[in-house]
Amino acid sequence: MAMVKEPLLFARLPLNARRALFGLVLFAICFLFAFPVLWLILTSLRPESGVYYVHRGTEFTLGNFVEVFHDDRVVEAFANSALIATLATVFSLLVTVSSGYMLSRFQGPAARTWFGTIYVFRCVPYISWVLPLYFVAQSWGLYDTYLGLLLPHIAVHICFFSWLMKGFFDGIDPSMEYAALIDGCTRWGAFIRVALPSAIPAIAALGVLCWLFTWNEFLFALILTGNRVPVITVVMAQFVTEMGMRWNLMAATAVMALLPAFLLALFGQKYVIRGLRL
Amino acid sequence: MAGRGRPLFGEQTRFMLLLITPAALLLTLFQVVPIAIGANASFRDWALYNPKKTWVGLAHYEAVLSDPEFLWVVLPNTFIFMILSVAGALVLGLALALLLNRPFAGQKIVQTVLLVPLMVAPVIAAIMMRWMFNDQFGIVNAVLEGLGLDGQPWLVERWTAFGVIVMTDIWLWTPWYTLLLLAGLQSLPREPFEAAAIDGTSTWRVFTHLTLPMLRSVIVVCVVIRAIDAFRTFDIVWTLTGGGPGRSTELFSLYAYVLAFLTLDFGRGSAAAIIGGLIILVVGAVLYRVVDRIARA
Repeated sequence: MAMVKEPLLFARLPLNARRALFGLVLFAICFLFAFPVLWLILTSLRPESGVYYVHRGTEFTLGNFVEVFHDDRVVEAFANSALIATLATVFSLLVTVSSGYMLSRFQGPAARTWFGTIYVFRCVPYISWVLPLYFVAQSWGLYDTYLGLLLPHIAVHICFFSWLMKGFFDGIDPSMEYAALIDGCTRWGAFIRVALPSAIPAIAALGVLCWLFTWNEFLFALILTGNRVPVITVVMAQFVTEMGMRWNLMAATAVMALLPAFLLALFGQKYVIRGLRL
Repeated sequence: MAGRGRPLFGEQTRFMLLLITPAALLLTLFQVVPIAIGANASFRDWALYNPKKTWVGLAHYEAVLSDPEFLWVVLPNTFIFMILSVAGALVLGLALALLLNRPFAGQKIVQTVLLVPLMVAPVIAAIMMRWMFNDQFGIVNAVLEGLGLDGQPWLVERWTAFGVIVMTDIWLWTPWYTLLLLAGLQSLPREPFEAAAIDGTSTWRVFTHLTLPMLRSVIVVCVVIRAIDAFRTFDIVWTLTGGGPGRSTELFSLYAYVLAFLTLDFGRGSAAAIIGGLIILVVGAVLYRVVDRIARA
């Protein structure tokens, strides 16, 4: 809003003053947006004695990170989260890319039915199927196992990602695939060798999003796992309730959990922005 | 099944079905089957510690729908949360998208900073806010006291706690709006804006008469998708307040979770989850029409 009104209100100010004001507003906005994360990082660097008055004192330490990494459960949780996020991304892409390709390249009742199904299931609240999923997982022996956490994580993105992938493939001209078919390529060949390579930017964008979503997910892990498969979000939520007073350790764990997502987003940002724009 | 298709792919039903088989299989096993089990459980006496599974008809639905906690706390909370969160993030996201849409020095850096919340897990965001709004040691109260104002016990009172939850959600989701609206802004044609500039139209009029109407479809998609997501918010409430103080900040997902896993009444929890699912289907459909009509007018 400020930006829209600015020329109206400040039209009479000299150019330099307007520039300075604009810069000031920008800086304030950025500061407010980044502040929670900056504050978390600052807290994670404070020793236990200084944590309650983070804004005073100048002692800093990396000890919190060392202590966090001596906690086996936290280390295990990091490994589990990374493993499940990576596997879920790979399988989720395999499943949704082919489903999105089908939605884009075929018409007729089968494609329409599949699209309608996906659309409806996108709207169902998680809690409506995650609550009973607890029983499904228990009766199939999947409760508190890697597979039991991995499979729902693949299933949850089918609707949204198939829909996005359809949009990506719609933007790719199918005539190359027709040409390949005429040249004697099989249907699978046309899909894998011709269509897939041109969809790689979109697939990269989905891969980044899928990894982030899975790494950040909480409700599935809360309901579908007990003690054998700790993941990082659940472990942190337990921290808050169980050892709520040790904010320096909590902050250090949270910073560690932010780090992979940040790195991925930093390098993947351009793919996501380019991919979503299609 | 699919007789008609594009010429070359026309008869390739087997290929088509193979493409969707894995997705359909996973969807069936992990969404359709659980929803069926949940629907079934919602009509039965199904306590987690003692699953008798005897048929009780609509008793669970009646119990949920006549629970004053559900009617006068959970439902209003959920809807107020949905409206404030969607409206707040939309206005903020639009403002930031407009800001980023014109070139200036350091634009790339600003864009990266504004997208930061996108990478933060809701659980971590909630932990950060919980720490910042801590009544004894939080920075917010420290700043307030530094300014000579009184610190507030933010998370101990209903509406301030609710406000912190809404704020966290807006912070988390504003980048999504910014990203999608910015993409929308950058794909708009230039000519109408150049014409308006030649006519000397004021910035505000350009915004209300050109930019907003042309962004209509993006805004509709953003609002509908985010409203549906806001309705099922769980992580940040669970981590920030756990539904407290008392049960005064519970949203619908938390209510169903508490019934099933803390009260251990899986039947009633399932009934609550299904009621919520039906509400959101109706809300989603109505919202789509209303927003679309407003945007058209």
